Amino acid sequence: MSQKQYWSDLQDLNNIATKNEGAENEFKEELPFDLSDSVLGATTPRRDFLKFLGFSTLAATIVSSCEMPVRKAIPYAIKPEDITPGVPNYYASTFADGGEYCAIVIKTREGRPIKIEGNETSSITKGGTSARVQASVLGLYDKARLTHPMADGKEATFEAIDRAVKAGLAGKAGYLVTQSLMSPSTKEVISQFIAKYPTVKHVVYDAISYSGMLQANEACYGKRTLPTFHFEKANTIVSLDADFLGTWLSPVEFSKGYAQGRKISAKNPKLSKHYQVEAMHTITGAAADERATCRPSEMGMIAVALYNAVANGTQPSLSSPALNKLVTAAAADLKKGNGMVVCGTNDVNVQTVINAINDKIGANGTTVNWVTTSNYKQGIDKDFADMVAAMEAGQVGVVMLHGVNPAYDYLDGKKFTAALAKVATTVSFAERLDETAQKCKYIIPDHNYLENWGDAEPKANYYSLQQPGISPLFKTRAFQDSLIAWMDAGQTYADYWKLYWTTRLSGQANFDQALQDGVIEPAGEMANGGAVYAGNVAGAVAAIQAKKPGTGTEVVVYQKVGIGHGGAWSNNPWLLEMPDPITRATWDNYLCVSPKRAKALDAELTGFTEVDYNKRVAKIAGANGYTITLPIVVVPGMHNDVVAIATGFGRDKNVGRAAASDATKGGKNAYPFTSFNGTNVEYYSGATVTKTDDKYEVAITQTHNSYENRPVVHEFTLEEFKKDPQALQKERAEEIGHYSGLPWEKHEHEGEALANPEMEENYRKNGTLYPNHPYEGVKWGMSIDLTTCTGCGACVVGCMAENNVSVVGKYHVLRGHEMHWIRIDRYYSGMPDDPDTIQTVFQPMLCQHCDAAPCENVCPVSATNHSSEGLNQMAYNRCIGTKYCANNCPYKVRHFNWMDWNGADCFEDNIFEDGRRDDINDDLTRMVLNPDVTVRSRGVMEKCSFCVQRLQEGKLAAKKAGHPLKDGVVKTACQQACPTDAITFGNVNDKESAIHKLRKEEQVERTFYVLENIHTLPNINYLSRIRNTAEVVAGNEKLDGMYTEHI
Amino acid sequence: MHIKYESFVREPLVDGNKDYHQVSEDIISPIERKPGRMWYIGFFFSIILLCFGIFSVSWSVYWGLGTWGVNRTIGWGWDITNFVWWIGIGHAGTLISAILLLFRQGWRTGVNRAAEAMTIFAVMCAGQFPIWHMGRVWDGFWVLPLPNTRGPLWPNFDSPLLWDVFAISTYFTVSLLFWYSGLMPDFALIRDRAKTKLRKRLYGLASFGWTGTAKGWQRMEALALVLAGLSTPLVLSVHTIVSFDFATSVIPGWHTTIFPPYFVAGAVFSGFAMVNTLLVITRKILKLEAYITIGHLEAMNKIIVLTGSIVGVAYLTELFMSWYSQAWGEMEAFKWRIVGPYWWSYWAMMTCNVVSPQLFWIKKLRRNIPFTFVMSIVVNIGMWFERFVIIATSTYRDWIPGSWSYYSPEWPEVGFYLGTFGLFFTLYFLFAKYFPVVAVHEIKFVLKTSGDNYKRGMQPIEEKSAEEFIHEQEHHHAEEHAEMAHH
Repeated sequence: MSQKQYWSDLQDLNNIATKNEGAENEFKEELPFDLSDSVLGATTPRRDFLKFLGFSTLAATIVSSCEMPVRKAIPYAIKPEDITPGVPNYYASTFADGGEYCAIVIKTREGRPIKIEGNETSSITKGGTSARVQASVLGLYDKARLTHPMADGKEATFEAIDRAVKAGLAGKAGYLVTQSLMSPSTKEVISQFIAKYPTVKHVVYDAISYSGMLQANEACYGKRTLPTFHFEKANTIVSLDADFLGTWLSPVEFSKGYAQGRKISAKNPKLSKHYQVEAMHTITGAAADERATCRPSEMGMIAVALYNAVANGTQPSLSSPALNKLVTAAAADLKKGNGMVVCGTNDVNVQTVINAINDKIGANGTTVNWVTTSNYKQGIDKDFADMVAAMEAGQVGVVMLHGVNPAYDYLDGKKFTAALAKVATTVSFAERLDETAQKCKYIIPDHNYLENWGDAEPKANYYSLQQPGISPLFKTRAFQDSLIAWMDAGQTYADYWKLYWTTRLSGQANFDQALQDGVIEPAGEMANGGAVYAGNVAGAVAAIQAKKPGTGTEVVVYQKVGIGHGGAWSNNPWLLEMPDPITRATWDNYLCVSPKRAKALDAELTGFTEVDYNKRVAKIAGANGYTITLPIVVVPGMHNDVVAIATGFGRDKNVGRAAASDATKGGKNAYPFTSFNGTNVEYYSGATVTKTDDKYEVAITQTHNSYENRPVVHEFTLEEFKKDPQALQKERAEEIGHYSGLPWEKHEHEGEALANPEMEENYRKNGTLYPNHPYEGVKWGMSIDLTTCTGCGACVVGCMAENNVSVVGKYHVLRGHEMHWIRIDRYYSGMPDDPDTIQTVFQPMLCQHCDAAPCENVCPVSATNHSSEGLNQMAYNRCIGTKYCANNCPYKVRHFNWMDWNGADCFEDNIFEDGRRDDINDDLTRMVLNPDVTVRSRGVMEKCSFCVQRLQEGKLAAKKAGHPLKDGVVKTACQQACPTDAITFGNVNDKESAIHKLRKEEQVERTFYVLENIHTLPNINYLSRIRNTAEVVAGNEKLDGMYTEHI
Repeated sequence: MHIKYESFVREPLVDGNKDYHQVSEDIISPIERKPGRMWYIGFFFSIILLCFGIFSVSWSVYWGLGTWGVNRTIGWGWDITNFVWWIGIGHAGTLISAILLLFRQGWRTGVNRAAEAMTIFAVMCAGQFPIWHMGRVWDGFWVLPLPNTRGPLWPNFDSPLLWDVFAISTYFTVSLLFWYSGLMPDFALIRDRAKTKLRKRLYGLASFGWTGTAKGWQRMEALALVLAGLSTPLVLSVHTIVSFDFATSVIPGWHTTIFPPYFVAGAVFSGFAMVNTLLVITRKILKLEAYITIGHLEAMNKIIVLTGSIVGVAYLTELFMSWYSQAWGEMEAFKWRIVGPYWWSYWAMMTCNVVSPQLFWIKKLRRNIPFTFVMSIVVNIGMWFERFVIIATSTYRDWIPGSWSYYSPEWPEVGFYLGTFGLFFTLYFLFAKYFPVVAVHEIKFVLKTSGDNYKRGMQPIEEKSAEEFIHEQEHHHAEEHAEMAHH
């Protein structure tokens, strides 16, 4: 320091020493409190005591306040060119799981895929998705995935395995088993591989086989392929056991098409007519206009009866009058043209008859397209059976398994496993240590589809490119790369694939465009055409008639809409927790049984037993000796002699913690109940079902099945709707008209009043003592069409992915703690003992964003309040968790964070994490979280926000672009996921918006609000369910036993 | 001496040959002695229960309310049921001390101290539930309208839950003051009798230097009147506001305008039953049968049959209104309450609250101590069910059948409830040991008009004919006049 002293004035100069002292002692004045040792003995003890008390309390509060440590946030050292933190990137790609196809767009944030959306450019799936497609992003971050290649159960290098496999391949008879492949480049690689190793055969194996259909088509039309079904063009749809909206072939595509025929308005009161014959109750059956049940073994007879009725006008004589009636009516309608028959039975004879019917009614070339054929399924049952026989005989040296798991899902998994043991070199490309991979010598885990390049040709000349959303997370290798490596071709599949497509598309520019679009499609409408039928109907009919239908109980093996055939889906907590659309059960499979049958098994469904989750356990003994026990879940609408069990359960613990089957959850394997008839695998068999004394808890999210004739759902027949489209509006006027005027004014309900916008407005104003709040600017609104909603659950999973909705696990679902912001209520009506009378309706239920929200005024701390745009919003940080709002919500759509589901809490080590939730809080799994949405902590309430983060993003973009928000730019996650476009969303104040037009012009007659009578003023409206049938049974004292018996 | 003359037909309020000293002896000496075996056993079990309650609550705070059985449909279960139940019990004390004081009911003197103590302890128990049922209890202070730096954010004055906060804290404060001001002369009495220094000092502090001057007594009387005036509306308002939690909602079964009077009557009903439960035990153990007489218990039982009948009428009125409204939500809610899976709770309520108290019309039963004890417990079981019926069986089957549910408690909820019993009895045992359980000064106040021996002393006068009595009085007066003249 310099010796120079600066001074500011003379006094300063004189007293420089004093000043220094002053500078050192910044606080010259005495401290205002006494610092003596004894507080009480100080000069002013009482006041100081209070000060100390205040300070120490405050200090203790601040010090002990919870603060969350920031976890592992690593900034980019060098920012990647395309990635801006906070801005999502979208990549068009392809979802193809064993022939289940969906064109998708991957949303990535900071380089990690967080959401899958449908690709609207695709003319096949048209932007629709399924619950599985939505959930597939979670599969990427599955902790049970293999992280490295393995040999003999130990970690190994690719090189070592490659050497061993190449040695094993040399000159030996081998099989390459894959699931149905739609990828042209992969097929090319395989054919090159087989050219190199001619002793290897390629066998396609599908867990759920469509072999019967493929073989029938080959026999009838000379093409071993599947046609394209144009549900959108069909006026009459007859489905024999085909769950085409849920699980059959390509549900997303079919839902899109089907919904077009189910869009109805008063101006255009037309509906397709949908007949469904099935053994159990599917969502397709729920959507149907006419539905009858039969034994699965009877399906062939019904196809024959339908054929005879169509071809010769023969009166059917089937096992029940309902079936006869249905077949007669269906035949008459089919003959009117634009009909279509689909059949889910995997039997070549039955499919031959179906082809004959479609030929007779002229469906080929109109609703059934034989020019643009589909490549969804290719597996032939016999091929695989032959391979197993060859393996058993010790004739096979190499088996390579890709995307298949026969040890689990083959009808005789034990036999396959035993045969596999006789093969010297066994290679699995499984992404996890599943039942088959465990038995293989070498495992070279394949990439997840979101990490891999690829392509698909779902239909002839319709291509779809697959690009990764992230680099491989683990030491995995594309299946194609393994084949290329064993061919010594010296390139990677990615290079090969790029070359393949740049060549095919002639040039980089076209390739880039195709990659951006995600799909490569011929211009114009899809090429359509028929084919010449050359099938042997008489032979098929004779074969069917020779096989007598069963007499005892038959067990149907079916796929759940969520889990499907099993595979990786068995370990997907989002799908496991998605309530089954029909049974509303989660986390398990069970024995679906009709109410009548349940009575005999001491598991009667009544208004009292419905609340007991502890279900009676039944023993099911298959014809082949396979015996399991499963809890009984009563499903009205099941045939009385049929029981049904879902696939995808009873998994090994190495499949993943969520999938693992144990005494408390996870169900049992249903595949051993399938049987092989020499040509095809049949997904049913005879069985004996007996009750046991055991009970087992099934986590069902809905206890009551009837909507009790309450004005929560409104149903009309097509005839009623045509005759009096205003019936619903009269009913509404009856309910609210009285309150639309002030007491001294004339009431609007007098006479034949209709609910109309003016009445709604008056009701809004005069139905309350409180002042009316005007909404200028944006006002969000949603409409849900109960006629097109199929209950598939895509919205439920889409919402979970978008909004970080927590998985709670079976234990907490059992206690009614599930968190789904949108649930799909399912209501049955009809006579429980007569499955053919059951009518089912789905109602998606989510926060109604009431303008007079009962939840808002009861919150003691104003944590939930209303936005100027009509949103009922939750300030999570403000919530103290009294649950009063949830109690006072008439729709019961508020969900409380009962436990620390996500580690967002400030208590240590209290995360609710047991195996049931599959490490959902693992660092890996957490990568799926949407950074735009707060992860809620324990003890706060949450609910649907109308995807407010999307609304804000859309408004911001519009503001930046300098124009008002355009309709359709922002979509909620549920709306976007919906494959039937049942959800419309937008700004009600925008006269050009779809929602405005729908409410005020197109669908005035069908619009209603749920629980309008309590003046909650919801911002979600529903459109009535219109059934193209003779009678709506719901609420009918004579026809609706579910209602009169209150089940 | 109290110059009110009380008719002989009225039952004495103090039995036996008591004088002022004997009253002090009887009531204060248990405080000065070591407590008996029964006290230790009781206190031990209370502490055990309290500890289990603390454990249960800690468990639910640490792990979350998912440890409870409440769910998305039934958001309130045992927690709020117990809250309303305890609050209801907490009504008797103030009713006895305030309203009966204003109505000059002499018989309240024997029971008011214990009843008021019970009120305070019950309100303390009740207060636990709204606190610990919060998902984020550490942020619970946000309901207080304190100036703050969080915005500043204020509580929502529209919320009945907020009104509860004010209603209950006010009620607690006033009850505590009322109780304590009455305790001061008795503490002073203990102080004056004290033989140990510590006791003298502590009771001296507790009595706030009470000296028993006429001015002191006068001020205390005035304070008692003021506080009685303040608490009278509180008796009515607290449970009214608690009932607003439900009445202002949109859930059928909750949304009912009859709730305020119905809740208040129910509260008095259950409070009196609880007082009976405690008094029957206390008078036995502390040997206070002379001060808490059968007559007292009978008077309590009369109020029980009255309020029980009011409650019964309210139940029937609810049913009538739900039918008369012809509103489907109302009708269905009551149907499911009666015949749904929770039918047993409704019928338990009806039996315990409406049917069984009617037995108190029979005088013999009213004066039967074991029967009174059993009934007091039955009534409180019934009143617990009433709250459960209102809370759980309204929400379990409300508007949308798809969300209907069922609820049974998990162990932490049960533990919490048992814990409040632990808290209540721990405090009550301490009270019984260290505080005069009967208001000594009030007993002395009525002793010479309503004491058995003094009333017996009146017997010869009572037996005289009216003429004779008048004559004697006049004669007596004449003598007095003569004497005065003489002076």
